[in-house]
Amino acid sequence: MKRTGFLYDQRFLLHDTGAHHPERAERLQAIVRGLTEAGLMSELVMITARHADMRWLQTVHSEGYIRRFEEVCLAGHRMLDCQDNQMCPDTWDAAQLAAGGTIEAARMIMAGEIDNAFCAVRPPGHHAERERAMGFCYFNNVAVAAKYLQAEWGVERIGIIDFDVHHGNGTQHMFESDPTVFYYSIHQHPSFCFPGTGREFEQGLGDGNGFTKNSPVLPGQGDETYRQLIEKDMLPLLSAFEPQFLIVSAGFDAHRDDEMADMRLTNRGFEWIIRCIVQLAETHASGKLLSVLEGGYSLERLPELAADHVRILLEG
Amino acid sequence: MFVSQSMTRKVITVAKDTPILEARALMRQHHIRHLPVVAADDHLVGIITDRDIRSVLPYKLAGGESDGQTEPDIARMTVSEVMTTTPVTISPTHTLPDALLLIQRSRVGAFPVVDEHGKLKGIISVRDLLRAFINVLGIGEPGTLLCILVENKVGQLKRIVDLITEEGISLGSVLVARYWEKDKRAVFPYLLTNNVINVKKRLREMGYTLLDPMEWYLDQLPK
Repeated sequence: MKRTGFLYDQRFLLHDTGAHHPERAERLQAIVRGLTEAGLMSELVMITARHADMRWLQTVHSEGYIRRFEEVCLAGHRMLDCQDNQMCPDTWDAAQLAAGGTIEAARMIMAGEIDNAFCAVRPPGHHAERERAMGFCYFNNVAVAAKYLQAEWGVERIGIIDFDVHHGNGTQHMFESDPTVFYYSIHQHPSFCFPGTGREFEQGLGDGNGFTKNSPVLPGQGDETYRQLIEKDMLPLLSAFEPQFLIVSAGFDAHRDDEMADMRLTNRGFEWIIRCIVQLAETHASGKLLSVLEGGYSLERLPELAADHVRILLEG
Repeated sequence: MFVSQSMTRKVITVAKDTPILEARALMRQHHIRHLPVVAADDHLVGIITDRDIRSVLPYKLAGGESDGQTEPDIARMTVSEVMTTTPVTISPTHTLPDALLLIQRSRVGAFPVVDEHGKLKGIISVRDLLRAFINVLGIGEPGTLLCILVENKVGQLKRIVDLITEEGISLGSVLVARYWEKDKRAVFPYLLTNNVINVKKRLREMGYTLLDPMEWYLDQLPK
């Protein structure tokens, strides 16, 4: 049995995106309900969210962007950069807590206080770019945690695995020249899905060439295609990379009941994927695994998907 | 929309008496495959391509490695001996659709852009046209493409655009393509959003069919 951390904070719910937005507070409430009903809450180590230190946010975002986000948000404007990014005055606080909480989870893993963690955060992060909010994302939680691990703990090789149905453009761009961070993403093919990046030929730049890998999946595909691609691309490449720490951008929107895209993964498919990732972490990273929520919009499926996810982290 | 806006203005050119090996070196240095040949005053007299040069080089030279053993004949050959003297040209005032159709018809990779006095003003290549086309499609911006099947009658696009506007979504582009069913059109709005759940739901409620992405055709019609 692993010591699995769980990051959640009521203040994540205050990030109000309006009446009809799919990235809504009920998502996190569904996840907490799922873990509670599955009897998993008492098994988890609670992680306290804290505000991210500005110096960590600045490792991946420009100071100008951070200031602009703060000003626009606190001035009461309802969106940042694009109609997708609906917000309220509490969004600034929630976004700092999401990034800071993810850093805290990374710290606890490195300090040996826990083995792995699941961070149920809002707003999500993997679309957030250096200078721009995008696709419901403001701060790139996963990228900030990776920079923290590099700088504060001297982690030399970090693997990031992104199975959200959308490509994590922000994360890819932040590390595409960095050969010490391997970014792997499996997502719906960008010609049929937001954000239009993550094509097979995007494989990293300069020194980072060969340290980015994208597996686009055509619409309508499910467990079997994911299994084939993960066995062909993710497992051999990440095994060869030998990451000392694994970070997961955990999006549950490739599920067949999720209306955001056109993939057909089942609960079993998600289980298989996370087991593969846990196994990779065991083999190369002494089990060090930090899973951070991205998308996933089916309020019916999120409780069970989150419970399965956390159960596998606990089993290790 | 005009060739003059999308063409490359700083053209690398050669003269008729430039040795072909020099022309080849220029192409390699600048990663290009077409060199307009000009006389005095930038007057266009021909074009030379990497293929023209390869066709006259012996096999071992065409491969690339210059081993210093260039045969004297080839070293003496000049551009005028291999260039095309009547290249297909286009005017800077022609449009990008003109250029697209011309490139499809003439099967060349680039056109010298020449004014009414025969003076070289630039060059426009398939690459320049692709860049313009990518811009038109809006696919450099993050967004989501939908495909909506509509009856081929007046007012359909308005209803769709009104709905997209009501949802507060910006449009990157809209393509309307023929569909293989008679009296149907396939409308492809490129929406600059990640959030398509509501707009998809409302389109279905309005009676439109959203085509399965695996059934999308842009340039081929079944049967």
